[in-house]
Amino acid sequence: MIEVFFQFEFLRYSLFTGLMIGILAPAIGVFLVVRRLSLMADALSHITLTGIAFSLLLGRTVPFFAALNPVYMGMLFSVVGSLAVDRLGHVYRYYKELAIPIILSSGIGIGVVFISLADGFNNDLFNYLFGSVIAVSQADFYLVLALLFAVSLFIILFYKELLFLSFDEEQAIVSGLPRSFLHLSFMIVTAVVIGVSMQIVGILLVSALMTLPVAAAMRLADSFKQMLMYSIVIGEISVLAGMFSAFHLDLAPGGTIVMTNLLILTIIIMFTKSD
Amino acid sequence: MELLQGLSFLERGIAAGLMIGLIAPVVGAFLLVRRMTIISEGLSQVTLTGIATGVLMNQTMVWTEGINPLYTGFFFALIGSLVVERLRTVYKHFQELAIPVILSAGLGMSAILISSSGVSNTEWFNFLFGSIITVSAGDLLFIFIAGAAGLMILGLFYKEWLSISFDAEFAYTTGISVKWMNFLFAVLIALVISMSISVVGVLLVGALVTLPVASSLQLANSFRQVILYGILFGEGAVILGVIGSYYLNIATGGMIVVTGIILLFAAAGMKKVIHRCKRKSYLARLKEASS
Repeated sequence: MIEVFFQFEFLRYSLFTGLMIGILAPAIGVFLVVRRLSLMADALSHITLTGIAFSLLLGRTVPFFAALNPVYMGMLFSVVGSLAVDRLGHVYRYYKELAIPIILSSGIGIGVVFISLADGFNNDLFNYLFGSVIAVSQADFYLVLALLFAVSLFIILFYKELLFLSFDEEQAIVSGLPRSFLHLSFMIVTAVVIGVSMQIVGILLVSALMTLPVAAAMRLADSFKQMLMYSIVIGEISVLAGMFSAFHLDLAPGGTIVMTNLLILTIIIMFTKSD
Repeated sequence: MELLQGLSFLERGIAAGLMIGLIAPVVGAFLLVRRMTIISEGLSQVTLTGIATGVLMNQTMVWTEGINPLYTGFFFALIGSLVVERLRTVYKHFQELAIPVILSAGLGMSAILISSSGVSNTEWFNFLFGSIITVSAGDLLFIFIAGAAGLMILGLFYKEWLSISFDAEFAYTTGISVKWMNFLFAVLIALVISMSISVVGVLLVGALVTLPVASSLQLANSFRQVILYGILFGEGAVILGVIGSYYLNIATGGMIVVTGIILLFAAAGMKKVIHRCKRKSYLARLKEASS
């Protein structure tokens, strides 16, 4: 069953990419959840769709964009989107939580208009939305590998600062941490991870890979470090099981990955008592 | 039913849109003050799972043939809203986790059902992004029944919900059954989401619930005004969106949302203008008084 993934080159690339995503997404997700920004992942992934649609639309007229992987434009949009969420938070001072649904729905809405204009309602779009096992090329693979190192380096370098900021933002600012710098770079990293992960799990399900393993790990872990470790393990298990079943049953990998994840979560919720 | 079938598809789309534009912002206003707007995103994805199940059931089982998938969608949305409440008690300290969990569960399940169904992907795009062409007479009937039921529940329990939304403890002590009211509210949300889906699509229902309310929040001075302006913004976005999508050949849901965003910007601009005018007249009066 597994051999098939080593027989064909394109499957091997997606398998390794999937494994790396299984580390990256939950690792970023842990910080998102403790900063109470878990919904941010949804908003940013939907904005990524806008960027991809925009890139597809440009690709029809400008040859340069036709050759470019639409994911890059998606990442750019999601960085801009994260800034817009911050800005909207100031506009609706008393209803801060309104910022995320606004960005989320505008992201999809504008994306849909771009897709309509580009006549893009086809199977490719379906793969962008729900993921694909065979969408990963060699170039993508090396990109993800480079990003894995960059993101791990970022987390290791700023681990203490991010932790401090997540648990006690006010004290962190008072003791002189550059909050806006950290916040911005964290959002950029999140946007990049979303862009990378969506190739396998799909735009609509990226956020699941960032929140579900963390939600499961949270119920088992006694410390933040443990939560990080457990969520990566759970993420890896679900990516592996999801990709194998998706390939053999001919289903969308995003769906199977998320359902495996959900299964683990349900089992964990059932066997741990609520505190 | 015959009357509904006599309508052209554009008329059907507009009729459905009018009903949705009326009820979605009202529910949105309640969700806003309860700080739960994001729940509409989560539940719409669960509704997609329900619709996918309905479509699959139509394909595989003879006796369920002919059941409109919107009904299974509504049923799933209702269960989803009850699960959200349950999850909130499981994650007491991270209540906001409930929504992403239910959202991804709905989408993940849908992705599996969709990719295992033999139906062509383009058909699913109509459910995802909405299309007025696909509003059938049966859908319109569902929208009207659901809309009437929703408006009736709203009219009957408006005061109770208002009380719960602004001060749940006070409401409880005055003898309102908070549990029962929350359940009814869950039914209402499920109704609104499942009826909106055939026009705006699963991924964009949330926009119709939040954008009009966000715009009206810029201008309104009271809760009643939030609702009233919200309806105006909602109807405006739906009608302009439906007409625009028909003539420009763009997915209906997308066009409605883009119109909603433009209206939001317009509302924000108007707020600034009103603010400036008020300040000017205030300064003028100040000058008059001092001289």
